[in-house]
This record gives sequence, C-alpha cells and structure tokens, in this order.
Amino acid sequence: MLDAGRHPRVELLAYSEIEGLKRKGGKFSLKVRKRTRYVDEEICNACGDCVSKCPGKAPDAFDMDLRKRKAIYLYFSQGIPAVMTIDSDHCIYFTKGKCGVCKKICDKGAIDYEMKDKILALDVDAVIVATGLDIFDPTALTHYGFGKIQNVITGLQYERLINATGPTGGHLHRPSDGKLAKKVAYVQCVGSRDLNNCAYCSSVCCMYSIKDAMLAREHDPESVSYVFHTDLRNVGKGFQKYEKRAAEEYGVQYIRGRVAEIEDGPNGNPIVWYEDTRKRKVESLETEMVVLATAAMPSRGALGLAKLLRIKADKYGFILCPPEQPADTSVAGIFACGFCKGPCDIPEAVSQASAAAERAAARIYEEVGV
Amino acid sequence: MSLRAAVDKTKAYLCLECGICTGSCPVSRHRDAYSPRLTVEKALLFSEDESVHDPEMWSCLTCGTCDLRCPSTVDFTGFMRSMRERARQVGESGVCTHADTLAALIDLQRMPGFRRQASWLGRGAKTRSRSSTYYFGGCLPFLDVVFKEIGFDGRGIGNSSVRLLNQLGIIPAVSEGEVCCGHDEYWTGGGDLVKELAKRNVAAIKKTGAKRVVFSCPECYHMFKHVYSEFVRGMGLEVVFLLDLLSEKMGDIRLNSRKTKVTYHDPCRLAKSDDIIEEPRNVLKSIPDLELAEMTRRGKDALCCGSSNWVSCSRVNKKIQVERLDEAISTGAQVLVTACPKCNIHLRCALRDEDCSGQIEITDAVTLVAGSLGGKKRGR
Repeated sequence: MLDAGRHPRVELLAYSEIEGLKRKGGKFSLKVRKRTRYVDEEICNACGDCVSKCPGKAPDAFDMDLRKRKAIYLYFSQGIPAVMTIDSDHCIYFTKGKCGVCKKICDKGAIDYEMKDKILALDVDAVIVATGLDIFDPTALTHYGFGKIQNVITGLQYERLINATGPTGGHLHRPSDGKLAKKVAYVQCVGSRDLNNCAYCSSVCCMYSIKDAMLAREHDPESVSYVFHTDLRNVGKGFQKYEKRAAEEYGVQYIRGRVAEIEDGPNGNPIVWYEDTRKRKVESLETEMVVLATAAMPSRGALGLAKLLRIKADKYGFILCPPEQPADTSVAGIFACGFCKGPCDIPEAVSQASAAAERAAARIYEEVGV
Repeated sequence: MSLRAAVDKTKAYLCLECGICTGSCPVSRHRDAYSPRLTVEKALLFSEDESVHDPEMWSCLTCGTCDLRCPSTVDFTGFMRSMRERARQVGESGVCTHADTLAALIDLQRMPGFRRQASWLGRGAKTRSRSSTYYFGGCLPFLDVVFKEIGFDGRGIGNSSVRLLNQLGIIPAVSEGEVCCGHDEYWTGGGDLVKELAKRNVAAIKKTGAKRVVFSCPECYHMFKHVYSEFVRGMGLEVVFLLDLLSEKMGDIRLNSRKTKVTYHDPCRLAKSDDIIEEPRNVLKSIPDLELAEMTRRGKDALCCGSSNWVSCSRVNKKIQVERLDEAISTGAQVLVTACPKCNIHLRCALRDEDCSGQIEITDAVTLVAGSLGGKKRGR
C-alpha cells in the first residue's frame, strides 16, 4: 500500500467514487467524485495537532464502533494517503456553525471548510474492480442475540479487541464490564452456508477463528476456547496442520454442531445452546464472551457499481468472471480481483490482484512503453 | 405420499446434519432420544419400514422452530406430518391425551343431526345468520367441557371476540353447521377426515354469504390460511386473525384503564408461521395504564407452550411448560397473556405442576381487552 502511495506514476484517489462510465472504442471515460475531506491533501502531514484538540466525537467505524474517534480523524494509523478528514456529520463547525478549533490549531493552514467535492474526468484503458467485502449483519439472526447480549461480538470486533492498537490495547476486555474474557466461544457459519442468507461458504472464517483462539491463549495462558462448527473447512496447504496445532498446543476445543441459541446468562455470561452432533446430545455451555464468525459478503455498494460499469454480478453482488479467464469481467477492459468476485483468503486475493494487474498492463504496455 | 416423496417435497435431502434443529428443539433439550436431525438422517439412510415404526415421531410439537432456523430450508414439520401419515397407514399412532376425549369431540361434531347453537356465545355478543364477516369459534365451546376445572373459559373467549367485533361495527355471522377445523387431525397425519371437515366448514361459511372469516384461535387460522387450499379448490374467503384486525383499529374502541403488568406468550402458529408478533402486543398496549413486560424468548424465538395435537403429553412436555411459566413469572408480570386457547390450556395445566416456581394468572388477549370495554374515550 505504501509502495503504491509513493510510486511516482501512481496517483491515488482515495475517498472517491465512480459515478459514471462511458465506453469510447476500447477505452473508458470515467466520471469520478473525489469527496472533500475539508483538508488539503497536499499540505496536511497527519501531525495530529487538530485531532488532539477537536471537541467533536463519533463512533469509530474502523474500530467496529467499540470506541469513539474525533470528528477530524485519520481512518486508521497506516492508512494511505496519511491525511486527516473532517466527518461533517459529527463536526461541531458543520452541525452547529461554530467551533473552528482545527483551523486555528493547524499552523500549516490545511483546513478549508469551504472545500467542495471535485468531479474528475479520467480517460483510461482499463479498470480493475477490487472492492473487497463487508460483513453480514447478525442482528437478523435473533436467536444469537447480537445487539442485545453485550458480550456477543463479531469476529471483526474481536480482531479490534485483540489488536495492540485497538480500543483495549490488545487485551480481551469484554464489552459488558471490562472483565478479561477467559472462556470464549467461536461460532462458525453465522449467515454463511445458509440458504436464507448467504448460501455460500465464506471460506475464511474457520481459519481466522482458529487464529483468534490461538491469539487468546498467547495473550492469556488461562484462556480456554471452543470453536463450534458445521464442518471445519480448512482447505489449503498446511491448514490442517494449523488446525491440529491449535488443538494440541493451544488447547482449542472443536465442537461439531451449529449453535442453536445464545442466551443471556448470569453476570453477563452468554450461554451457548447446541447439539454436539458427535455425542448426539443437546448441551449448553456458559462462556464469558461469544465471537460470531459472520458471513463475508461483497461490499454494500457492489451491486450498484456492477450496474454502473455494466458488468455481470450474481445476486449477492459478486462480480462474475469466467473460470478460464479468472480476472476478466463480462466487459473487455474491466477486470476484477479479490473478495469482490468470490470468497477467498489474503494470499489468493494477492495472486488474483497480480493477475488483474497483468491483464490491465497488457492493454496499455505499448502506449506506456514499460 | 411415500417417505421418499416426502424427502423430495420437504427438501430433507439438503440436510447438512449441522444440528441446529436439534439444538433448537424444545423437546430435544429434555429428551435425548428425540432428535429432528436424527429423524431426517434415519429416513435418508434406512428403509421406510424402519422409520414409520419409530415411536419418537410422536414427540414432535410441530412448533416450527427448526424450520425457521434450518440453514438448508428443510420443511421439517412438513416431513414429520408425512411420516405420521405413513405411520397411521400401518396402524401406528401417538398416545392420545385425556383418554382420547378431545379427538372424540370431532366425531361428536360429525354426528348426524348435531348442531351447535349460536347461544354458546353468551350475552352481549351480537351475531346474525347472514353477514359479510364470519366468526369462526372452532372448538372453544367444547373445550370448556373438559377444561373448566382448570379455570379455562372458552365460551368467554368467543364472547369477547364477538363483542370486540361488535365494537368495530361488525356483526358477524356464525353457523350451526360449523365443525372442528381439523388442525390436530392434520398435524397427526390425517387426510380424508381433514378434507371432510374443511369442505363442511367452507360450505357452512359460504351459506352465510360471508367473504371474510375472523379467527380467535391461531390453529384454526393456520388451517384456513395454509392448509384448506389443499382440500378445497378456490375457497375464495379472506382469512383474518382477530388481533391482527384489531391492532389497526384500537383507536376506535374505548377502553377502561387497567393497572397491571402483563407478559405476552407468542403462540407458534401466529409468530413462527405467520409473523403476527407485534399486532397482539399493540392491541394490549392500547389498554390505558397496562404495562407489557417481555420474556427474553419472544416472537419467532418464543418457546412453545410444550404440548400439541393432544398426543404425547409426558414429563418432557411438563418440563417445557414449566420452563415457559418460570420465564413468564420471572418478568414480574401478574398476568400471562396468550392468543391461543391451546397455549392457555396447556400452561394452565402446568401451573399445577409441583416444579413450577410460582403462580401467574393466565388469560387470552381478547378476554383481557374485552374486560376493559366500556371506558371513556382515551385522552379525556
């Protein structure tokens, strides 16, 4: 990411959206809305003076709403380009008409409340769609109590909790009372492999849940983890070995059975109800925190983008590419890679990205002369 | 239908054996021998002969919790019904409760010359022999014969229902020719008898000139809405659940204040199969000063009242009922309101169980609302 940001021949248009596409011969002309940050990207060097003084607060989307950020903010610490953005929905200057603290404090003069969105016209030879994923909202599965039982969280929320830069500094302080969660259940297939929601397997949850469980033990030798699964679908080189290592060295326990219900138990402890299909017995387990491995789905805007680009997508919004040309969409010159075209893990997404880049390069190399 | 055909029709072949059905089943929690997952698995693996003699098939409450949660959309209750149909053909049956008296009520209603009288509805309930709306009372008057001793008042539910309709300016028709809706017979695998009952009911209702049928029993409503089309072609009747109808019109009805804390138990046929969840609650909330406390398991996640179709009432069923009563009592409510006469009866019965943690008054939503009738206009 950093390499792309520094490359002399790469221009990054982050915080921007495609609003129109016209085909001209083999080329495309794009209409791009570059949204205003109210901060001059050329001047701002993300020193953070404005953030420390800003009085406006908003839920931090990057931290999965587990903490608040300021109204002027950096999306996340390694984000490219490293410039601040004002969230005008929560900024006191925009909502109440007075404040202006960030403008006063910025000695570089990067703040500009009058800055407008810019519409750019770009003529390009190729387009690569790499819009990634969003997660399924588990609130609809009322039997899991997400949103009602405080200590039932999603895998991404867990990822922020266990992360050293996250809201709890990498310790598993659970949401209800800040107590360290030592007995954690990981629930697989929440919305995935479910004909009522996402019929497909999200393909990454078994592995990341096992990783999460191992991390919990690394952070706290007393931690105990239970992974409730339909089937463990760890299909990749070394994955089976990883699964076994988690059980043998990290005490991760695998229970076969899709969780039926999560009940709000005493002291904020969620109680998991399930059938252990190996024992053929319905059981319950009191835990200190439950992590839901929610289905991964194409980004919320994927279907709209597919329509705008006139490329084919399935009902979920996954971009369709033929198996024999896995980087090519239904329109010549538009390519796709990563989770936007189907469930895949990081190494696979990276190789797909290389493929898409190659396919795009083939269209322009004569002109550019690389 | 052969079991093979039932597997195809209910998509049982899509089963992933994930176990969410068994984990969700109110019966399986108390009885290891019964498992929806294993029932399907056995039917897929073994011959029909082995499956149809399995006594566990009569343990299913047909509450539909498994159907709702199944990620493969298997219609398990439909599968169970087909299996029971086959079982009955080879002479099997569930153990009938109350010495089979309740099934005998159907035979009673089918006896030549049998007529139910409109007077069962009691005082103050205005009905006509012809009207565009029909009120279907079902088994209410007959249930009183058996369950009066536990304080169940079916006639009162009928009376309240008609009086509430009267408040909306509707004078419904009722008929002497009405018979049992056939719900229990259908869900225990019956066919021909259900067809006969369906035809008789539809004919009796059509004779009154009605275009719309209003129900106070979720099971009768369920039969008319989802099952009768299987037996009666082009029924041409609009079916409405009374509380659903009332929920939009409560502003027109004057009610007295009632300072009580109540909790509402969702009947399976209403919440799980027809999504009628908020409507009964809205009706209750329109009673001035009434406080509604919710149980944690509500709506589609509500626990079944624990018994169904008047078959297989065992310790397991009592345990489920007591579990539900305890949940209701723990809300601190004085009254447990339900919208199904059957839930009403089953829960009342379990109140006498020695394991029950306390006592709570049980009533039907229509009885409660009608009890507040005659008040001054709200806001005054």
